[in-house]
Amino acid sequence: MKRAGAEVQIIVVRPAESTAADPTSALRRLGSGARVEILHSAAACRARCRDGSVDLVVAEAALGSECWKLLEGLGSEGPPVVVVNRDGSEYAALEAFKRGAADCVVAGEEFADVLPVVALEQIQRWRAARDQGVAERRIRDLESYNQNIIQNLNSALLVVDLDGRVVFSNPPAEEILGESAEALRGRPIWPWFAGIPRDEIHVARTLETGERFKGYESTLTRADGTVVPIGISSAPVSDGAGNKLGAVAVFSDLTEIKLLQRKVLQTEKMASIGQLAAGVAHEINNPMGFIHANLFQMAEYLTDLQRVWDEVGALQAAVAEGEPVDIRRRSESLAALSKDLNVSFVLSDFAKAIRESQEGSERIRHIVNDLRDFSHRDSEHPVLADVNQFLDSTAGIVWPMMKHLVVLEKEYRDLPRVHCYPMQLQQVFMNLLVNAYQAIEQRIGDSGEAGTIWLRTEPRAGGVAIVVKDTGVGIAAENLDRIFDPFFTTKKVGMGTGLGLSTCFNIIERHGGSLVAESEPGVGTVFTVWLPGADAGGGED
Amino acid sequence: MRANIATERPTLLIVDDEAQILSALKRALRCEGYEIVAVESAAAALRILDERRVDAILSDHKMPGMSGVQLLARAAEMRPNAVRMLITGWTEEISPKRLQKVGICALVTKPWDDAKLKATLRQVLGAAQTPSRQAGGSNIPDRSSDYSLRR
Repeated sequence: MKRAGAEVQIIVVRPAESTAADPTSALRRLGSGARVEILHSAAACRARCRDGSVDLVVAEAALGSECWKLLEGLGSEGPPVVVVNRDGSEYAALEAFKRGAADCVVAGEEFADVLPVVALEQIQRWRAARDQGVAERRIRDLESYNQNIIQNLNSALLVVDLDGRVVFSNPPAEEILGESAEALRGRPIWPWFAGIPRDEIHVARTLETGERFKGYESTLTRADGTVVPIGISSAPVSDGAGNKLGAVAVFSDLTEIKLLQRKVLQTEKMASIGQLAAGVAHEINNPMGFIHANLFQMAEYLTDLQRVWDEVGALQAAVAEGEPVDIRRRSESLAALSKDLNVSFVLSDFAKAIRESQEGSERIRHIVNDLRDFSHRDSEHPVLADVNQFLDSTAGIVWPMMKHLVVLEKEYRDLPRVHCYPMQLQQVFMNLLVNAYQAIEQRIGDSGEAGTIWLRTEPRAGGVAIVVKDTGVGIAAENLDRIFDPFFTTKKVGMGTGLGLSTCFNIIERHGGSLVAESEPGVGTVFTVWLPGADAGGGED
Repeated sequence: MRANIATERPTLLIVDDEAQILSALKRALRCEGYEIVAVESAAAALRILDERRVDAILSDHKMPGMSGVQLLARAAEMRPNAVRMLITGWTEEISPKRLQKVGICALVTKPWDDAKLKATLRQVLGAAQTPSRQAGGSNIPDRSSDYSLRR
């Protein structure tokens, strides 16, 4: 006879003073795993069944109405109830089945053999049903759990089939694409990547080759034509057996981040320009100072020369009239005035004043041109450029503010051209130069000494290297790892945004290059920028 | 004697690392009756101070090697009677405390105004030398009419 494997809990409900054969001994034949408990009332049994640990209830029909109450009380959710019908009356069996009994056993001669078989069958059926219910509930829970995660995910999520048709979308995806879930289902995703070559669409490559992508930048083109910058990750989706089903893409809208990035860049640039403004004002003030003064003086010279010219006119009139006395008198008067006003000096100094003022205005023009270049917004696309050229123009802008403290040593080698955003690179160079100057200023203060900044460029490793070296205070070892962190600064409050070097780092990274700092406190610092050449990866141009 | 009259003219030492500034200042002050000595560095100015009497010094601040304030501080030791003035477009970096310590009596901003500069020199040189020189002028000019600093 088969036995119930796991421990089985059976409740026998019978009248307290029952004289009939106890079903317990028959049930013991199920084995030691079957535990039998005897109760005497429907209420006690119902209470006992509440925790779900009971596998079977065997109730004696002799309980009468108590038996029917029990059947109704347990209902369809409870364990199966087998009714033991002492006298074999059809009426009792019918009533029992009507009220939900699982089976009915007549307490006859074969009772001891039949009961265990019936009990076992009922227990197995009950357990199977219960296990299936649990599994179903588990799946339902898991599904709603996943749904919850996916629906509340901040990132957009799209699942596509092997043809790139949307199988599933979550609300953020619907928001970014500007379509409802219903509208998205079954739609091919390719129009959203219009203008991007197929082998550069991450999801396409995932579908074709199974590649995984994490955190790549791309763009989506909405149905209305607006373009959204996105960060996207994609991975293949397969079933349990490993069959490819499609791909899942997780992406987020980078519009705000991009805006912020641009703002930070512009803010940092403006802060740099503010720093520069004082230096530039000084540099413009000097030529303005002497041009201004010279103009006043030239006006006075002109007044003097006008007086001489008036005298010349009087002399001409005298000559026309031909009176020798008058002519001599006018001539002497002209000579005296010329001597008095020092006309020969006035004429030569007038010329000198004009020449010097011209030089001054040329200097101002130059400064203003450099500054205008610098304050321009950068082009949208990288251009091929010679780094030496704008390194030097940046040095030209910054130089005036530091020339009283710094000797600038330039060593530019011929460089291969690089793909770059010139204004952004100028910003990097300016930051590095201003930092170098400030480090020197901090070190020598008012001592009257001078510091040195070396600017060196050279072709290196298929690209170009730009080295800015100073004899400033240097950077403490514990700070050297942090100088590229945003908002890290050792400057006094209000003196630095703490964004200078982190902005530099981001700019160089965006150019596919590197920015490295080496420093020895008390000796100086070396910043090395490396940028890949325009034909990096290809042959020499 | 003519030579005596010449030596009685107040001597003004002008220091600026830019030749054009020096020549514009000389041009502006040409008819003011000063004996003008113009040099392009603090080092050269110190040599002049060492060699001869100077009544007034007008110095630029931002110069390589030694700043104007440093130069004037040295001048205060070497020629305490010489009036000390600073001419600069770079005023925000020098604290008023420091200026007072060095004993600067005028701060001329670039670009300067010729008339104000002349008035300032007349005022400070008059005060330092012969107060009776300016018989007709007012002794305490309006603040906006010159660059002199008052305590």
